[in-house]
Amino acid sequence: MAQVVLKDVVKNYGDVYAVNHVSLTVEDGEFVALVGPSGCGKTTTLNLVAGLIPMSGGTISIGDRDVTDLDPKDRDIAMVFQNYALYPQKSVYKNLAFPLQMRKLPKDEIDKRVQAAAKTLDIVHLLERKPRELSGGQQQRVALGRALVREPRAFLMDEPLSNLDAKLRVQMRSEIKRFHQDLNATIIYVTHDQLEAVTMSDKMAVMNGGFLQQYDSPANVFANPVNMFVASFVGSPAMSLVPLTAVTKGTDVVLASPEGWELPLNAANAKKALSAKSNKVVLGGRHSTIKVHKAQVPGSVPGKVYTVEPTGDVTFAQVFVSGAVVNVSVDPTFLLRPDEPVFIEFDQNRMHLFDGETEMALKLAD
Amino acid sequence: MTAITEAAVTQRKGAGGWRWSGRIFLLLLLGFTVMPMIWMFITSLKTGFAAMQYPPQWWPSEPTLENYWRLIDPSGSVGRDFVQYFLNSVWVSTLTTILAVVVAVPAAYAFSRFRFPGRTFLFFAVLLRNMFPAVVFLVPLFILMKALGLVNTHGSLILTYLTFGLPLAIWLLKGFYDNIPVQLEQAARIDGATRFQAFFLIVMPLSTPGIIATSIYSFIGAWNEYIYAYTFLTRHDQMTLPVGIQRFFSENATDWPGLMAATFMMSIPVVVLFLVLQRYFVRALTEGAVKH
Ligand SMILES: Nc1ncnc2c1ncn2[C@@H]1O[C@H](COP(=O)(O)OP(=O)(O)O)[C@@H](O)[C@H]1O
Ligand SMILES: [Mg+2]
Repeated sequence: MAQVVLKDVVKNYGDVYAVNHVSLTVEDGEFVALVGPSGCGKTTTLNLVAGLIPMSGGTISIGDRDVTDLDPKDRDIAMVFQNYALYPQKSVYKNLAFPLQMRKLPKDEIDKRVQAAAKTLDIVHLLERKPRELSGGQQQRVALGRALVREPRAFLMDEPLSNLDAKLRVQMRSEIKRFHQDLNATIIYVTHDQLEAVTMSDKMAVMNGGFLQQYDSPANVFANPVNMFVASFVGSPAMSLVPLTAVTKGTDVVLASPEGWELPLNAANAKKALSAKSNKVVLGGRHSTIKVHKAQVPGSVPGKVYTVEPTGDVTFAQVFVSGAVVNVSVDPTFLLRPDEPVFIEFDQNRMHLFDGETEMALKLAD
Repeated sequence: MTAITEAAVTQRKGAGGWRWSGRIFLLLLLGFTVMPMIWMFITSLKTGFAAMQYPPQWWPSEPTLENYWRLIDPSGSVGRDFVQYFLNSVWVSTLTTILAVVVAVPAAYAFSRFRFPGRTFLFFAVLLRNMFPAVVFLVPLFILMKALGLVNTHGSLILTYLTFGLPLAIWLLKGFYDNIPVQLEQAARIDGATRFQAFFLIVMPLSTPGIIATSIYSFIGAWNEYIYAYTFLTRHDQMTLPVGIQRFFSENATDWPGLMAATFMMSIPVVVLFLVLQRYFVRALTEGAVKH
């Protein structure tokens, strides 16, 4: 296994920049999730690492080799495609054997490795079948198997689970994770599902519009999103964002709403709010850090319940606060009705503040 | 899946009346196309006298294979000529087909997979040739062939047939390659194949039904072509079947049974080709290369 390094990688189709100056290092044995909404450039990035499409700029190295100008076959990587891309005319056995045949391994060695991979993935009984005779989950396993037989330097996976049903997806998720741990494999895993990224990866690279937004451990991305996009993309339900105005009142700084209510900030948050380019500040809060009250308490702001979704363990609700939707969660015994007026309390120590102009997170200068 | 099937079944039941009228229509159509062929066959079994009888004999009172023996008997002049025409036709059609496929496969693949300047323009330019009736090009091509010294050679026919066959072949095959997911080649290239290997080992085999369908089209087109063969070839030993069998018409009497036997023989290769390959042909036209 090996380290994968992308330096200033660019891919443009005319004026469309599918990948825009992305730099990123995947350490040896690391599981990195490339995550972002559809069309943000994930597949393109992966294809560039694989060498399937020519780069417009930048360099890529795998291990200690610069592979920028190498053919896919010479990069020594394996890839799992979203549509599996199993060779329809070949049996499962021949699908698994193909990468080994291409590398001219002796027949008995090929057989040994195919059998071993089939055993690992529990597809021994399927070896003689054609891909079209397999279920989606089985095809997925074969696709994984074809990547596994070869002991490549890195695995690239493009939304490998997105065509499976929910139950199978959860099962395969843990299997791929196991597979990563057992092999100590370097994996770049593309997904549009932030939950998959958070649960599976050592590090997640959040992309949007061709740009790499943030590259960090899921915990850090979750706790310290660098901008409003990352904040609202990672976490479910999404972080709520309320656009407000920072106003200085004597020694205090408050966030004022157009409706006239004011939320006093503590010292640290006040400092952050004042560091914004203008007085436009966006308040962000995750549902787990927000309390809901039926009556006003100090530091709470008024809202109106929009929808209530009991899930059993916890009840989620959406509350309109100053025109924005705020996701909250309450104990199932705390009954809420649509259109009921409530008061929302943000945790001053865990709230997020963003610059309303640049959409970047406001941080304390150290 | 089952829901869809059930829906389809219900729909079919509801459309029972339509289905029957559809069948009757097809039956009429079948009769319309098959009757002449049957009549052709029956006539070919008659003697010259029986063929001219009125009212016609539906089935010859003395069926004979004499007409067929005459065609393939190399000691007679008819037999010598017919076998020569037949071989000429086989040669011209086969070579046309092979050349069309050999050129069309990479061309269609390129049109399907690569984005290059002028791609759309070129693709339609290729098809432009087929938007005019064949005769329009008769005189220009004749002059061209004359200038190239190709008149009275099979080369003139093969080149001409390619100008019809190739665009069609490219068009047909491009549809096939469009249907083969590009990820298959990508997977192959990652698995260690060169671009060429990925095409040759993975994509080409998947397009076999398309290649076969294309070959049949090209072959039939060349096999049946008359106008150009009639214009470009004047020497008897060069003629292809459609032109050659004219010699059964003569100034004073037409040898109907002989003509019918020759025509029947002429249709055999096409029919055989079709029967052997129809499996691929139908698949090619109905489902494309790879089911998604
Ligand atoms: N061959 C191409 N030609 C033009 N634009 C493309 C091509 N491939 C991708 N794009 C564009 O690049 C962007 C990123 O695409 P992609 O990497 O497939 O996104 P993702 O995998 O994140 O959904 C999209 O806007 C897409 O339209
Ligand atoms: Mg994608």
